[in-house]
Amino acid sequence: MTLYRTMDRTTSRRRLLAGGLAALGTTLAMPHVARGAGQKVVVVGGGYGGATAARYLRQLDPTLEVTLVERDWQLITCPFSNYVIAGTVEIAEITHGYEKLAAGSVTVVHEEAIGVDPAARAVRLAGGTSLAYDRLLLSPGIDLNYEGMPGYSEEAAEVMPHAWKAGAQTLLLRRQLEAMPDGGTVIMVAPANPFRCPPGPYERAGMIGYYLKSNKPKSKMIIFDPKESFSKQALFLRSYETLYPGIVQWVGGGSGGKVERVDPKAMTIEAGFGTEKGDVINVIPPQRAGKVAQLAGVTDEKGWCPIDPASMESRKVPGIHVIGDACIAGAMPKSATAANSQAKNAAAAMVALLKGQPVPEPSFANTCYSLVAPGYGFSVTGIYGATPEGIKEIAGGVSPLDASPQSRDQEATYAVDWYRGMAADAWG
Amino acid sequence: MRGPTLGWGLLASIVAIGPAAAEPTAETVARNCFVCHAPQQAGQRGIPHIGGYPPEAMVRELTLFKTDQRDGTIMSRIAKGLSEAQIQALAVYFSNRPW
Repeated sequence: MTLYRTMDRTTSRRRLLAGGLAALGTTLAMPHVARGAGQKVVVVGGGYGGATAARYLRQLDPTLEVTLVERDWQLITCPFSNYVIAGTVEIAEITHGYEKLAAGSVTVVHEEAIGVDPAARAVRLAGGTSLAYDRLLLSPGIDLNYEGMPGYSEEAAEVMPHAWKAGAQTLLLRRQLEAMPDGGTVIMVAPANPFRCPPGPYERAGMIGYYLKSNKPKSKMIIFDPKESFSKQALFLRSYETLYPGIVQWVGGGSGGKVERVDPKAMTIEAGFGTEKGDVINVIPPQRAGKVAQLAGVTDEKGWCPIDPASMESRKVPGIHVIGDACIAGAMPKSATAANSQAKNAAAAMVALLKGQPVPEPSFANTCYSLVAPGYGFSVTGIYGATPEGIKEIAGGVSPLDASPQSRDQEATYAVDWYRGMAADAWG
Repeated sequence: MRGPTLGWGLLASIVAIGPAAAEPTAETVARNCFVCHAPQQAGQRGIPHIGGYPPEAMVRELTLFKTDQRDGTIMSRIAKGLSEAQIQALAVYFSNRPW
């Protein structure tokens, strides 16, 4: 069940006044005054970051009124979507609703946030109403920057899918692979840093390799990459050589892998060495923070959101916290686990700030599993702390290159456990 | 089943150490663990359930991971980022959460 709680401009201004008085109360060391007001937190974005934050905000302070704004009724996760492309997981298995969140103590509003008014402390919704907030948390994920790849566009993505936001694009890429004749060439255009899910393109290439080897063994999967190095590189390259020799191939920036232009009509890409034709072409374009972050004025000139590393509060607009792929999180990658960890630390910081208390010392973590075949998994993990210069890694690393098959199988099992734990932590 | 109760000596040392200034609390660190060691029934098969875990055993296991005396996957890497005080505080935290 979903309850709407929106308010008009007049009410929102009245709230602003009340908020001002409450803030005065906290400076006079009377936090109970502020708490009695039933302070409002709005969370925009119902992915791993936003949904987790909404749940923990209420857990940490049950007096808070927490509203989650998410346009879509269902969330299809990017984690595990590469397995849907390869046909080993069905899309229903990675689709999550908001019923449990809405049945709990979080108000879920399925509307699009189309603007933020930081002075009035209000989020504008597409339906014409506004939501007032005492603190706002943005977890908007990414926007695809189609113009960043010449020849590519939203229309071109119907021919050359990006599949970098899970859903229809994921299924389109899967259908294209299924329709391709044996002996075909699959091309992936990998992005330059930074981008969502640093190991994602390479996991995808491995899983497509798995599909091809199982179904169309005369085919090829070629990754064209502007970079010379990437996440878990040695592990991925070893797995391609071991599992998919002659099928999966990586062409790095030093070997002419940087793609200058794509042509969806001719189904070609132009790279340093010339033109290459593909039967299926997966273009992962450059990215930037999700649109609402741009609208709220919390992005920098490169399109990402600078934040205070302890509280995740925007460096550009006070009262707005930004987590997940959209924010600049120092050593942390743009991953689901990173967003989950940032969500919990941001929630604790917001609760403290609303009570006029100091921000607690955060502890961040990341874990990303990659599978390149069923039963063949490896991981990267890290724990991180806040420093004045940004978020720094304290410890971490990747799976050993020479791990046993048993260990790879164990990590594949852990990946599924991780997926289930993450989903439960976010959507209940 | 609950394991052996925490020895008084260990408890006293935790109270004495406490979280140092600018150290995250056990609860803050533990929230990161929930992702894999889910508090709710999340249908997990391989990852152990650690709610109500005997605290002495948890200190021992995490220390073995930290010092590479036990084979592990990600826990060997994660435990190296935990101080001895944090390991002890986490053990107490999880032992008191029998979900």
